Amino acid sequence: MSEHVLNSIGLFVPEIILVASLCIIIVADLLLKKRTHAGGWILLASLVLCFFAFSAQSGINTSAFFAMIAVDPFSVFFKVILVISGIFIVLFSMQNKELIPYKNRIGEYYMLIAGMMLGMFLMVSSTNLLMMYLAFEMTSICSYVLVGFTKKSIRSAESSIKYIIYGSVSSGIMIYGMSLIYGMSGSLNIFEIGAALSGLESAPIFSMAVLMITAGIGFKIALVPFHFWAPDVYEGAPMAITALLAVTSKIAAVAMLIRLFRVSFTGVDATGMMAIIPEGIRWDMMLAVMAAAAMILGNLAALWQDNIKRMLAYSSIAHAGYIIMGVVVLTDQGISAVMLYAFMYLFMNLGTFYMAMLYANKFSTESIEGYKGIGYRAPFTAVALTIFLVSLTGLPPTAGFIAKLYIFGAAINAGWIWLVLVAGVMTIVSLFYYIRVARNMFLYKPEGETEPVRFDNFTTAIVLLLLTPVLVLGVYFTPVLEFIKHSLVMFGVQ
Amino acid sequence: MELTTLLFYFFSLLTIGSAIFMVFSKNIVHAAFALMFTLLGVAALYVLLFADFIAATQILVYVGGILILILFGVMLTTKGFTDNLKTLTTNLRPVSVVMTLVAAGMIYVLLTTTWPVAEIAEPEGTITGLGTLLLKEYILPFQVTGVLLLVAIIGALLMATKVKHQQ
Repeated sequence: MSEHVLNSIGLFVPEIILVASLCIIIVADLLLKKRTHAGGWILLASLVLCFFAFSAQSGINTSAFFAMIAVDPFSVFFKVILVISGIFIVLFSMQNKELIPYKNRIGEYYMLIAGMMLGMFLMVSSTNLLMMYLAFEMTSICSYVLVGFTKKSIRSAESSIKYIIYGSVSSGIMIYGMSLIYGMSGSLNIFEIGAALSGLESAPIFSMAVLMITAGIGFKIALVPFHFWAPDVYEGAPMAITALLAVTSKIAAVAMLIRLFRVSFTGVDATGMMAIIPEGIRWDMMLAVMAAAAMILGNLAALWQDNIKRMLAYSSIAHAGYIIMGVVVLTDQGISAVMLYAFMYLFMNLGTFYMAMLYANKFSTESIEGYKGIGYRAPFTAVALTIFLVSLTGLPPTAGFIAKLYIFGAAINAGWIWLVLVAGVMTIVSLFYYIRVARNMFLYKPEGETEPVRFDNFTTAIVLLLLTPVLVLGVYFTPVLEFIKHSLVMFGVQ
Repeated sequence: MELTTLLFYFFSLLTIGSAIFMVFSKNIVHAAFALMFTLLGVAALYVLLFADFIAATQILVYVGGILILILFGVMLTTKGFTDNLKTLTTNLRPVSVVMTLVAAGMIYVLLTTTWPVAEIAEPEGTITGLGTLLLKEYILPFQVTGVLLLVAIIGALLMATKVKHQQ
């Protein structure tokens, strides 16, 4: 017994590093009189340590803490993505001008990010409904406070209260759904649930429970019809936190959704293909309709936005739709396409948010109309932003093209032609609003001030770090595919 | 009808009835008192499920702690602010339509479901088993809850305190 706990602690080292850094940030904040970004550097160091600790876990496929979490290639892959995006978010935060008036509480800001990272690590590795819910709440509670962190801004306070109310209702619905599943299967362990459900006949209650759980997770992914919070919250939150919500927590929730649905609600039929259990619960159709709705609504609503954060909010709703397409198809090909998409999405979306933050810092505008002529004043960053936007659209030779190609390919192979048609048409629609930003930057002469704007080396380095993967992965992505192929192993799934 | 069944229906009615009163009451103090009966009713349901420890915790934490906190919060808030504090209902018509549909769906689902039922022997008391579980099978959730509470307390403080001006 105690041996099992000791073994589990050995597998839990990265998370322990993160909890330790969380405590160190609190203590350091008390001891250091000078209000600096010390907490940020501590968190950055611990995230880099976590990255190496996760790399050391590659190839391990086991469960820990009495089947509460799984340490398997699947979770390690997503944790690596989360760590990379966490590192970028901390770097963004150090430059975010919105946070300057709150310098005397910046330590708590980084502590909350550490807590949120811990919650997301647990989300991608939980194999127990209780643990999943706990991890989910951990992520949510930290993000509620972070969204309202710049509390002197009315928009931030408003978005925080909206986020708390919508978030707590949706997680309440989710835990109700989980309790129904527990009532029918008699277990909280997702493997035992899968085993129990495969012997049961279909009943309306399973559809209701799955719908309720999807409501909770779909809220985090911002999937239609659980998306309505996203534009307001993204607009009100500090820019670094918007990026955290749009990229990191979305990817974590997708990973949790895949694990739960793959293990508990998917079995193997007579021909050896994946099949839904209990039979007759068409959650694939339900997710497909939601994904289609997300793509249509996200892309069409984004056309009318002038605030870059609101536009990116709707664009991230649309991307949630593309990602969920890979879950709908019920094949390993689909799941690997989701993993590839998550990897690419990380760099291109973080890059876009970073540029939006830089421009908000320098030109104090979040309006796309305000971007007129920026291409002449800051050519390097404007070109970089254009590349990120082209990648988000999904045009070659960028990473976004490869990501979309694999998702669409997986969906066509599984016969979801109508879904791919919707996605294709909506991709063309998305070109209009992404390119509008580039048009404003390059095809208008700057109004008012015209002298060039310089960015420091630190900024340029971050831009290059984000830009290189977007360009390189667009033409040479074999290593990532290999990595994903090895990561496609979920504990307890053949 | 057995006494247990009778008690179950009594406490369920108490819980639901006072919950409805709480939601529809316009006065925050009345709502808080109605909430007390809801929480007590839930505690009684826990007792009927042989969950003695959870029932005691429910009374201690919710009735003894949170409810008193709400009442003190109302009492200590500056006078004049709470005098006019009334609950407000908006969008009544669309909400009623949606909620009626949801309720109908849920009742239909619950009526068509055959729940797996297990006969449970009357346990001796749950505290020993609970303690063992918390430090054995559920040690990770137990520890993570600790971190969650730490983060939540600091987060609540951040949201509640005023932003000091920088020196």
